[in-house]
Amino acid sequence: MTAELLKLAGSIAAILFIAWLARFWKLGGDVRIRSEEQAREIAQETICGFDPVEIVIDKAGMAALLRDADGRHLLVRRHGVQWVGRLLDHHNEARLDQNFLTVGTGEKTFGSVTLDLGARAPAWAAGLRHLNIGRPHA
Amino acid sequence: MPELFSPIDYAVPAFIILIVAEMLWARRRAPEKYEPRDTLTSLALGTGSTVAGALSGALVFSLAMWIYENRVFEIGWVWWAWPLCFVLDDLAYYWAHRSGHRVRWFWASHVNHHSSQHYNLSTALRQTWTGFIALGFIFRIPLAFLGFHPAMLLFVGAFNLIYQFWIHTEAIYKFPRWIEYVMNTPSHHRVHHATNPRYLDRNYAGTFIIWDRMFGTFTEEVEGEKIRYGIVKQLGTFNLLWSVFHEWIGIAQDLWSAPWRHKFSYLWRPPGWSHDGSRDTSDSIRAQWLAGQQAKGD
Repeated sequence: MTAELLKLAGSIAAILFIAWLARFWKLGGDVRIRSEEQAREIAQETICGFDPVEIVIDKAGMAALLRDADGRHLLVRRHGVQWVGRLLDHHNEARLDQNFLTVGTGEKTFGSVTLDLGARAPAWAAGLRHLNIGRPHA
Repeated sequence: MPELFSPIDYAVPAFIILIVAEMLWARRRAPEKYEPRDTLTSLALGTGSTVAGALSGALVFSLAMWIYENRVFEIGWVWWAWPLCFVLDDLAYYWAHRSGHRVRWFWASHVNHHSSQHYNLSTALRQTWTGFIALGFIFRIPLAFLGFHPAMLLFVGAFNLIYQFWIHTEAIYKFPRWIEYVMNTPSHHRVHHATNPRYLDRNYAGTFIIWDRMFGTFTEEVEGEKIRYGIVKQLGTFNLLWSVFHEWIGIAQDLWSAPWRHKFSYLWRPPGWSHDGSRDTSDSIRAQWLAGQQAKGD
């Protein structure tokens, strides 16, 4: 039993060391969405067949909102050095605060995302309201 | 019965050295191949898996011993039993793994291994905590009934697991054709971890890729096509407990809300199946993708 506990302690020490080393060596990086083309690519990787007709990218490049011809809205955001996305439906919520649009996905672990959309924020908030999902207030 | 050592105990230091070596490679060539929080989650899943295995292992071993006592053949410890046991165990692994992707009950446990969006050696250690609950061992335990001693099964199974460690890397592209034809390799296993529609639910092999070739589930890695790793609906969190239990929670929610006549289907049908067709399975995603490819071609 003692030997097993020592092995477990050794494993925990080893994983903490490796995680520290990954950070120390600056593995990972800083990924951003820099173009509509990139946002389109991320969307298509996220949802097979999602073909956006309108795209808006957060000013910092951390997230984007995309709409396809069927009116479906897709939110993509950074996750580490990868991208994750969710189709927005009536379970989601949207809050507009001047140029900032906060979109909640209804998933606690996915969280909500605040996008700086500049002057385009109200239009996208309206689009989300059209999905009957948000309570935007200026 | 010969005294057998634990291969995993000897392999763990090598695992750590190889992960550090791959991280060094990533540091020089592609830092984005590792993400510290993802690595920590993967390794924590690995450690938790050994604890879960230790807690349930004695029970599974006892069950295997009971089955062995009612065995069909007297195989014993002859030399040829070892390679034969390894090959048959690998075949059993193929079917266990295939079921792990095609039956939601088994997937709820196996999904842990696929939930990273990275593909590196730390991903190999991202193992389940709930394998015992999922009853995945039922695929491999019948070998005891054939006459292979459970200790032998445990031993060859450990070597199978060790073999599968090193193939979780992007640092190696492809081996000579004859190796790629017979063995599971980094290239074949990258396909298995991919969510690209063409790659979904392919290459289930453990050590020998020949099982996929035999049973029609083999797909070659296409040069130049970027691979996206993980699961169809990426988790979007590094939360350890959510990574472990999210699919079990999903099953519970579906069982609660589904009409009575559909409840059981949420356990045994493929992941993504829903009674109202509102979700996507691997098959439906691939069909959509193929239709899109065909439309582009027309």
